[in-house]
Amino acid sequence: MTYEPIWGSIIAWYLFLAGLGAGAFATSAFLSWRHPEAVTMRKIGHLIAPIAVGIGLVLLMVDAEAGFANPQRFFLLLGNFGSVMSWGVVFLSVFMVVALAALVLDFLKRPVPGWLENAGAVLALCVAVYTGALLGVCQTFPLWNNALLPILFLVSALSTGAASVLATSIIRHGEEFNRVGVLKKFHFCLPIIELLLVMSLLFITQSNSEAGWASVMALVSGKYALAFWLGLVFVGLVGPTILEVWLLFFSAKEFEESRLAHWLSFLSDAGVMVGGFLLRYLIVVAALPLPVAVPLF
Amino acid sequence: MTRYGMLIDTTNCIGCFACRTACQRQNGLAANIDYIRYEDRETGTFPNVGFEVIPIQCMHCEDAPCVSVCPTGASYIDETGTVRVDEQKCIGCKYCMAACPYLVRVHNPETGAVEKCKFCAAESFEGRGETCSCVEACVTGCRIFGDLDDPDSDLNKAIAERNALPIAGDRTKAKIFYVR
Repeated sequence: MTYEPIWGSIIAWYLFLAGLGAGAFATSAFLSWRHPEAVTMRKIGHLIAPIAVGIGLVLLMVDAEAGFANPQRFFLLLGNFGSVMSWGVVFLSVFMVVALAALVLDFLKRPVPGWLENAGAVLALCVAVYTGALLGVCQTFPLWNNALLPILFLVSALSTGAASVLATSIIRHGEEFNRVGVLKKFHFCLPIIELLLVMSLLFITQSNSEAGWASVMALVSGKYALAFWLGLVFVGLVGPTILEVWLLFFSAKEFEESRLAHWLSFLSDAGVMVGGFLLRYLIVVAALPLPVAVPLF
Repeated sequence: MTRYGMLIDTTNCIGCFACRTACQRQNGLAANIDYIRYEDRETGTFPNVGFEVIPIQCMHCEDAPCVSVCPTGASYIDETGTVRVDEQKCIGCKYCMAACPYLVRVHNPETGAVEKCKFCAAESFEGRGETCSCVEACVTGCRIFGDLDDPDSDLNKAIAERNALPIAGDRTKAKIFYVR
């Protein structure tokens, strides 16, 4: 039997954008706590969050063809709270309300209250974790059906979200970018943690079943090997780590605050975002099912 | 109570795919959509070899992962234990397809909704109308449909006599029993 992935790049884009938007809001909340003076960057996060999640939700609705053709059916989405997807709808809806409220307050030049920022940050974490749990509860696919996936998606969401805020701020607000050292140091750690989680996921999955082994082999030496090694591991994780280690710890302060260093940092953030998408895409398409009657491989 | 189930004796299956063709006609399916799929393999070692064909369709699980993940309640289990899809509620998110361990749910590109075996054999079993289901179409009589809650049913007798078992053990409390 040949197996075709059930979900494809549309769902991968959705998972990526939902994570990125959630991470961008979490980054804003972090900035309001540790760098209250970085007002523009906080506003950038508030702007990216609803736009990214909004685009993701549109993609999700387009992919759900029967609902797209009959939109009234989307109101049934709260029909089964045994389903991770129903919980996701709740998290996404409330998160969108909070994110839009923060955006409106920014546009009106009114302060975003701390409780709204914190509530949004908690909801952002829920959204990011849910995207992993959504796949995680599918027992058919060993690459998904494990407790690492929600944590991996959470770390990737925070990483891509922070990268989107940092990269956008580099374009026109280099001064402010120079002053958010704590955020940059946190952001620097995330790809390293993510690399550890990806390695753990593959290590454990390859050992738990033939389907798990075949899924991992498709990634590391099969048809997704180029995207995995070059795209995810090098461009998305190792490359940004090397660049940031150099910029944060081994370069002179004058260089670190120069425009060239800014654009190198931009490159690193772009890499993180490419890696974030590829992580979702590869995990969605490389997962192979457990056999039913006859071993598949 | 009625709890419908089926036995499929693959030792008699010749792999003619008549069950799938009948199912497609009965349910008005396009040629590229099927509720029954097949797995096959060579068995034994030379010179005593065989070829096994295993028709696989919705197992109408009592512990149905598709029902538990469906966010809109479109997938449900009816009073006869049959797993069904209310196509008026389905948004086509395909979450059930990802959750189904048997990979037997299909996405209909025309409606955008997800479909699968409806146990239409129940209609003629209950005398509610003429059908040509997989059960009636099978030329070697591999399939027996019946009520698992009726201890005297042909189905239960055959399950006991032929030692039929669900295809994947007790993974989801499946209600299709296989003789292999």
